[in-house]
Amino acid sequence: MKIIIATLLFCGLGLVWTQKTDVTLNGVSQHKTLSKKPEFFALEWQEGLVLKNKPTPYFIEVETLGNQNVDILVTAQNRPVLYTVDICTPVCADGECRLMYLTLYWNLLGAYAGYDKVEGQTLTKHDHEEFLEQDYEKLHHLLMDDNSILKRKKIDELVEKPEDSELDGADAKAGATITEVKESVVDGALYSCYVAWNIAHGTIKGELQDYTTSNFDKEMKGYMLMSNEQDYQMYALKSLNDEEYIDYEDRIVQIFNKGIPLVRTYIVQNLPKLFWETEDLQMPFWESFAAVDINNRSLLLNHIQQAPVEVLVLLGGNLELMTKNQLKAYLAAIEKNEMANPQINAQLLRFTNSGNHTYAYIVAEFLEEFE
Amino acid sequence: MKYLILTLCFFSINLTISQDLLLEAESFDDKGGWVVDPQFIEQMGSSYLQAHGMGEPVQNAQTQVNFKKNGEYKVWVRTKNWVPGEWEAPGKFQIKVNSLVLENTLGLRSGWGWEYAGAVQITNKKNTLELVDLTGFNGRCDAIYFTTSDVEPPSSMNKLATWRKTVVMEPLAPKVTKKYDLVVVGGGIAGCAAAIAAAEQGLQVALIHDRPVLGGNASSEIRVHTLGIYGNFERILKKLDTEHYPNGSPEAHKDQIKRDNNVKSYDNISLYLNWRAYDAKAVESKISYVDARQTASGERIRFEAPLFVDSTGDGWIGFWAGAKFSYGRESVDQYGEEWKEHGELWSPKQPDNAVMGSSVLWRSYEADQLEEFPEVPWAMPVARDYAKVKGEWQWEFSRNDLNQIDDAEEIRDHMLRAIYGSFGNAKKLPENANRKLEWVSYLVGKRESRRLVGDYIFTLNDAKSGRSFPDGVVEETREVDVHYQTVLEDEKNPDFISEALFYKTPKYYIPYRSLYSKNISNLFMAGRNFSTSHVGLGGPRVMRTTGQMGAAVGFAASLCKKYDVNPRDIYTGYLDEYMDLIEKQKYIPIPESKK
Repeated sequence: MKIIIATLLFCGLGLVWTQKTDVTLNGVSQHKTLSKKPEFFALEWQEGLVLKNKPTPYFIEVETLGNQNVDILVTAQNRPVLYTVDICTPVCADGECRLMYLTLYWNLLGAYAGYDKVEGQTLTKHDHEEFLEQDYEKLHHLLMDDNSILKRKKIDELVEKPEDSELDGADAKAGATITEVKESVVDGALYSCYVAWNIAHGTIKGELQDYTTSNFDKEMKGYMLMSNEQDYQMYALKSLNDEEYIDYEDRIVQIFNKGIPLVRTYIVQNLPKLFWETEDLQMPFWESFAAVDINNRSLLLNHIQQAPVEVLVLLGGNLELMTKNQLKAYLAAIEKNEMANPQINAQLLRFTNSGNHTYAYIVAEFLEEFE
Repeated sequence: MKYLILTLCFFSINLTISQDLLLEAESFDDKGGWVVDPQFIEQMGSSYLQAHGMGEPVQNAQTQVNFKKNGEYKVWVRTKNWVPGEWEAPGKFQIKVNSLVLENTLGLRSGWGWEYAGAVQITNKKNTLELVDLTGFNGRCDAIYFTTSDVEPPSSMNKLATWRKTVVMEPLAPKVTKKYDLVVVGGGIAGCAAAIAAAEQGLQVALIHDRPVLGGNASSEIRVHTLGIYGNFERILKKLDTEHYPNGSPEAHKDQIKRDNNVKSYDNISLYLNWRAYDAKAVESKISYVDARQTASGERIRFEAPLFVDSTGDGWIGFWAGAKFSYGRESVDQYGEEWKEHGELWSPKQPDNAVMGSSVLWRSYEADQLEEFPEVPWAMPVARDYAKVKGEWQWEFSRNDLNQIDDAEEIRDHMLRAIYGSFGNAKKLPENANRKLEWVSYLVGKRESRRLVGDYIFTLNDAKSGRSFPDGVVEETREVDVHYQTVLEDEKNPDFISEALFYKTPKYYIPYRSLYSKNISNLFMAGRNFSTSHVGLGGPRVMRTTGQMGAAVGFAASLCKKYDVNPRDIYTGYLDEYMDLIEKQKYIPIPESKK
């Protein structure tokens, strides 16, 4: 990956290099092993985990300083866990350049995972003041934001107030002006933040994901599916064939229950047809109805017309959770055949008579018309 | 004011004769602090009056009512509790007849329907009727019905529509018909640009718009600034666009005056402000007319023309006429619109009905003295602990069980709860002791709804590749920017806050073929309801771009008139002349004196 150093753009006259310490940049990683959780880390860390560095074909190219190799960190059993690089890069502003040292980590899909300070090196701000602890935290938060405003702005657009709509080509940017930049970057360290973000979220992301894809096997699929990382879950789910959906059903139901709405949506939208044709297979998903978010309840209800009567009874106990349109979908499903079902009827009456449900009137109208 | 005194026979069996009078609230002589809300007519049946006081009761709406016969009348009011639940209804109000406040408080029932206000003895012919707001929190009144009978009017939508027709005895067709060369429905930036372009070419144009001011999302009522480039139409679009103020800024008023004056300066644009189209009739896939109603008086006009522009945003004209349309997100494979980095958030493997949401903008100001804000328990399930003093574009709501058209009232109301609740939370902080709400829109600013299908469907790939078209009449450099609700990634987030994903593109073009209907032969479309995929809409949905679409169809309409042809024929037979005409728009016209 090539980082375009800001030197040429911003240093201008009086370019001065200041370097606190001599550091050898020979492509050898700072750590040969990683045995403790990185200081700033976005993933779960298993206590006692020891990871070894192994080389990858990838590197980050820093102009004037050469290539900086990216390693993969693996367990004793050779299972990949993270990617890492020890980065040294110049950061330039107002004619002065300093070197910034960081050890960066990415997860197996190339998403930023965290960073460590490099021993003996501190990050400094434009006025040479050292980063405070909260500044390091803020940098970590910034790097975790893969949709940061830094992604779509050139550095010169971040330091000058945009004059008009030429720079703000989106309604989103109305709020994403300099004020938003200030809120998301470390005060006095815009250039360091900008350079770090662009390394962490540069083309290396895609390269690392491709590397993982090329080594993706059943073991890694299982590992990702069992993980609590939502992007691992999604990646693994996308790789499943119909048979594997059945093999992994328990875990998929678990993710559907506890996962984020986006992953749940992928599951309910992509379950093989067989699930909706087989009572035993679909039941656990309906049983999650109360646990999942509104959007996913709607997606489940897209299958209500074909659902067995047990599902209609089950949902009859959850009427108070339904939105207006969800209730209408449910009522449309029972209107066909199940109005004679005493359990369902009792549930409808209980709901309408309770006196404190927002949409009780819809059920009342339905019952009235049915009568 | 319009009201009807009726002697109707409701029960043919026992032949009970009753005196009845139906008043549409929106036709009150003096609306006081109540506002006319015509946004949801297609869903709930009518314009209505709303007490949008931001927490302070608004001034009474008042009107004169003449009764033919004295007697005791029962008074029914069509209303609803817009946030039913275990709290006091937020939008309570009362009815006052002459000096008597009727016994029942209104705005309490779930869902639109009739509430009984009480009985009143009418002893004079002339009477004064008032709506008395009790809360300032969006109480709503659609109609008031006086009857000497004991029969409650019907609440269900189907029965109500029939009943209303019977009660008002309205003939099927409007009595008045007007003819134009071009009828433009929807006076947002796209519709205004279409009207101006066509008028400059000499067409007689009707511009029908359901608000008192032009501009749609850019108007001073919604206050989204215009974005995008001018393309070939800088001269026209500068008459209509806005400065780059923050969304929600009162600076919108200045641009509003400019816009309204500019459109009104064209003698051959007949401007129908506060008129809302409610039907369009197509015979053999050709629209014959559009019917519209005055949003307050209920007066109706039939508009006939050889050509129509649907710039309603929601694609209503196309919808009524039977035009093909799409809604929701296509499968990622349908047009190959994948963006790997953002996966399902950007474009899903399976198609769905998720769309970008609607915004309601708002702001507050720092007053010189302490300002109170009432408790709003009914807002808290939405706002939770979110605390803010203003709302920008990120205040956006979309959920897959809610259709941006059919459920727009619920969407708007959800945003009102988000706003009042978040402001209420902010007010509890000492630093906001002097904060006071300055402005909250009650109009829902939509980003996406129906997309009418044209001969060409514009997609992300056209933007990504910067593909040029022989009929490329709109151009844009703005990124494709698609929004999603942040709650999809973390349930702890408020469900009314969105995030934007920006896909950088080279300069790209939209072909004329995306601006007329595939199956309705005389229908143009301009604005967010043009022919595009969900992702494709992400870029050109902003208002200078939609304005370009409007101007492009306005000029196309002039050639349609010149050669007596339909929109498609311009592409197939008159493209060179059309593109020359578009190209010429880059330059200031030579004044007649210099020709």
